[in-house]
Amino acid sequence: MIINGVTIDETFAEAFPMKGTRLIITAHNAKWAMISAQAFTGFATSVIACGCEAGIERELDGSETPDGRPGVSVLIFAMGGKGLAKQVETRAGQCVLTSPTSALFSGLDEETEMALGQNLRFFGDGFQISKMIDGKRYWRIPVMDGEFLTQEKTGVAASVGGGNFLVLAESQAQALAACEAAIEEMKKIPNVIMPFPGGVVRSGSKVGSKYKALNASTNDAFCPTLKGQTKSDLSPEVESVMEIVIDGLTKEDIDKAMRVGIQAVCDLGAEKGIRRISAGNYGGKLGPFHFHLQEIMA
Amino acid sequence: MSALTFTLKAAPSQRIDCSPLTPELLAEKTLDQIKAIELVSGKQKLSVESLFDVAGDDTNDIHVANSTNKLDFIGRNMTHGKISVDGDVGAYLGLFMEAGEIEVNGNTAIYTGCEMKGGQIKVNGNTGDFVGGARPGQKNGMTGGTIIITGNSGDRTGDHMRRGYILIEGNAGDYCASRMVSGTIAVLGDTGAHLGYAMKRGTILLTKMPSRGITANFNDCGSHTLAFLALLFASFKKLDSQFANIESFSRVQRYAGDLAGIGMGEILVKI
Repeated sequence: MIINGVTIDETFAEAFPMKGTRLIITAHNAKWAMISAQAFTGFATSVIACGCEAGIERELDGSETPDGRPGVSVLIFAMGGKGLAKQVETRAGQCVLTSPTSALFSGLDEETEMALGQNLRFFGDGFQISKMIDGKRYWRIPVMDGEFLTQEKTGVAASVGGGNFLVLAESQAQALAACEAAIEEMKKIPNVIMPFPGGVVRSGSKVGSKYKALNASTNDAFCPTLKGQTKSDLSPEVESVMEIVIDGLTKEDIDKAMRVGIQAVCDLGAEKGIRRISAGNYGGKLGPFHFHLQEIMA
Repeated sequence: MSALTFTLKAAPSQRIDCSPLTPELLAEKTLDQIKAIELVSGKQKLSVESLFDVAGDDTNDIHVANSTNKLDFIGRNMTHGKISVDGDVGAYLGLFMEAGEIEVNGNTAIYTGCEMKGGQIKVNGNTGDFVGGARPGQKNGMTGGTIIITGNSGDRTGDHMRRGYILIEGNAGDYCASRMVSGTIAVLGDTGAHLGYAMKRGTILLTKMPSRGITANFNDCGSHTLAFLALLFASFKKLDSQFANIESFSRVQRYAGDLAGIGMGEILVKI
């Protein structure tokens, strides 16, 4: 398949099941909601070492938030419910509770729930106040700038992590420009995040390493400087490869995000130095979700 | 289907226990079976037919017409459906109620919504004492649900209240929120003497300073903007009540008490 001179490889991205939730962080104004959300989603690019993958889904105006203040919705994913709960609790405690004027709410109603402010309340040292509003419990925790309001629980959804595609370009600048264009379009799709810095990862990994202590290492087949040194997957004219990783609440959400992202890259086309779109997979052994690039773009 | 209607034939001389007349206990009964149900009245047992004219067939929509304040225990242990009452009702309206809806177009006597667990009671009139309270000797009053009173409530409103909402559009009597454990009582009118007496936790929300002021057992914690109030008022919007129409506010003067006890309760007064 070729779109605007860009070859779409006959391959698939391989993704795996994760547990995820959506949280809504509000604050006195959009600036402070964003600051808190950025702190909450910091150091959350890959479960390999961060314990979770998190990102900002979108900004919310006052009409979309529970307390009528500006907010930000964030998505956070982990490999299991326990891991997710731990990450949410520590990040909420250190990055949202601490952030001036913030409040924290669940953005996902699911049958399965986990703690959100349930344990943070103990920071109140006995002065915390519980309120049941519309069947949901909230905690009012006295803090130095007033009260930190947080919902007790949030829903946990069976989600999908690790959707991806690779952009193969003639230069680093062209690969980056294409990825930026893709991310801009993908951010418009709800229920997904691209957890890496700016949504783009330049150090795609393969499973395993020559070093026993490591379970992942550089994806040498796509490293342009190794074209003559390893079993490379790159043609001579490809000088830079960047990857976009997508986590989403459902497979369909990732499908949509990949479609608009790849399309945005292809719109730049061969004329802008984009040669191929490929994807990372592990022969189908790692995850049950397969995103076939040509099917997505058909 | 039409509402199952019980029209009281004449004012009874003794109090009547109406607890068998709930949607769950009447479900799948024929009209003849319903008429034959015996209700306790003093030392006697009287058939429904001897007290009420009975018509209709929808046991999930029960209507009591021509009611008096001698009809006790209406909606006891109710778990679904609706009971509407025209006229006054007696004591223990909605005792132990778990879900569903009761609406009274009249006044209620003592212990309205006593130890209710959920659902909604709306009284288009005044209530007696101990609304949402606990029975004598019991530790917990209502543990969930909402009671809306369009008129005034009696004394000891929310006594031992554990959870839920009591929304009073008129005035609250003396000892409002006495021994309250948790939950929320909101009053649009005035409150009587000894507001929050022995209150442990919970919230009393007032739209204006009580005419008697705040008792010495409560300390002023200052004026604050409390984020949870926006959520609270948003939850009121769906109610058929003046509370749905009041303009949301989050700026309040906060008083903590009763400091003679653990002092974790609060009175919030709009500023």
